[in-house]
Amino acid sequence: MSTLQSIPVVAPPAEEPSGGGNLLANVFDELLAFCRSRSLFMLHYCTGCGAIELPPAMTSRFDMERLGIQPMVTPRQADILLVTGYVSTKTLKRIILTYEQMNSPKYVIGICSCTVNGGMYWQSYATAKKLSDYMPVDMYIAGCMPRPEAVISGLRELMENIRAGRSDNWRDYYQRYDHYLGNQQRLFGEHWQTPTDVIGEARHYGQFGPETLGEHTALLERHQTPLLPFEMRLGLGDVSKGGKS
Amino acid sequence: MKMMELLLELTVMPLLAFTVGLFMVLMMRKIAAKIQRRVGPPLLQPLYDIVKLYAKETQSSHGLLHDIGIVMAVGGYIAAETMLPVPGMNGIADKAGMLTLAYVTMIPSLGLALGVGQCANPNGSIGIARALTAMLAYDVPFVVIIFGASWLYGSNNLVEVIAAQQAGGIASWGVTQMPLLAIAGLFTLYAMLGKQPFEIYVAPAEIATGPMVEMGGKHLGGLFVMQCFQLFTASAIYVSLFLGGGENWLFFIAKLFAVVAIPMSMAFVFPRYRTEDVLAVVWRWPMLLGLIGVWLVMR
Ligand code: SF4
Repeated sequence: MSTLQSIPVVAPPAEEPSGGGNLLANVFDELLAFCRSRSLFMLHYCTGCGAIELPPAMTSRFDMERLGIQPMVTPRQADILLVTGYVSTKTLKRIILTYEQMNSPKYVIGICSCTVNGGMYWQSYATAKKLSDYMPVDMYIAGCMPRPEAVISGLRELMENIRAGRSDNWRDYYQRYDHYLGNQQRLFGEHWQTPTDVIGEARHYGQFGPETLGEHTALLERHQTPLLPFEMRLGLGDVSKGGKS
Repeated sequence: MKMMELLLELTVMPLLAFTVGLFMVLMMRKIAAKIQRRVGPPLLQPLYDIVKLYAKETQSSHGLLHDIGIVMAVGGYIAAETMLPVPGMNGIADKAGMLTLAYVTMIPSLGLALGVGQCANPNGSIGIARALTAMLAYDVPFVVIIFGASWLYGSNNLVEVIAAQQAGGIASWGVTQMPLLAIAGLFTLYAMLGKQPFEIYVAPAEIATGPMVEMGGKHLGGLFVMQCFQLFTASAIYVSLFLGGGENWLFFIAKLFAVVAIPMSMAFVFPRYRTEDVLAVVWRWPMLLGLIGVWLVMR
């Protein structure tokens, strides 16, 4: 798993937070990091076959709840986005929309070899190969498919990283947004845009980095159409002809 | 001096309620785990969840009403805690009658309705419509039960009701004096807690947790706090009406947990009712039992 150096890892591990000699300086931060690591709500985006290993990992046999991990149903509530299997181009759009709606700190786990490098769908024209090109991935769990034991040990490692403050990849999405957006545009075309204002969020939460803006975000601004509320319309139009109203 | 004492009580009572509520949430999850033959969450899991949610670094607020809704939801219960006598502390319970308490416990649902409305998520709107329907369902038998209890003890004041029960020992407890109303009350409490089969407004697989669908970070944390208060409030009302309140904290807590454990051990083996079935069931059985109980009490 994480020991394999060949796996694409996005961000170098962050520096260990230094106490500056004062033992109490980081107590509060460490408490928060501990609680974060012990309470992970996961949103499983079951894209492929790997999803079938999750029910045993969650239910009686392996029982993730004893580690504080429980499934949640909407991106707003979740901390972990589990992508379990091959990611087709069309699915990837939804995954990015989902990812951007989650509240930080958020973590992405790619389960299955297909998210690492395309796996057995390497030659397919319709699948995205490396998930970490499109969003920062905190942990890959390789295998075709990984057994529940592997999933749980991967999650434990993520918990350990969170507690030690090493899993800060969500900042990377803000700080290198241009890079991720570029890869997304390469796949979806230059008209690609999401409803979330990532640049605005980066500015608001002080996550602005030197690579947040760049040529790709300039392209985005050129093509961006503002998000408008749905137009309220009464009546269904001419339904009888089967055409659009 | 009197004023200081009252202020102290008003602060301590919600805090105690919250602490007890945390352990009730833990018990609920442990019971679910045991029924499903799992280990279940560790001791402080509910606390970790809440701290984690409040420690989120980005927030997804949908506007002022969304925020105020959560404040109302938690605040309504905090107000309710100050009207629920616990051993040694009465707060403002002797100034507020049981009907006031019944009103105050409705505020959280209304607050949620406000907040969820602004999220503009259709699942949330369906959820809140169902939550208000459920409230309508269980509040009618609840008022009938309150009526019966106040008639029996000749008072609408929880402090006096508890004093009357404690004066006569178990023989004068609500559960021996008016057993039918006690059964109806347990049924209503079950519906009030909103666990399966009354889980119509959460329904994760159907409407994606309904009112909670757009809540993340601090907003969801507020709702988790609210759940702790809700469990405490519902069981404390039941204990005060039927089980003689609390002589001391030991008995009080034992009674509270016992009352919550009964519906929880039934809940996790049930699927879910449909909305109209909840209305039909709650307005039929607890209502019928409650009305007969009131008739027996008034005879
Ligand atoms: S790695 Fe194997 S099991 Fe997982 S999604 Fe790919 S083909 Fe399916």
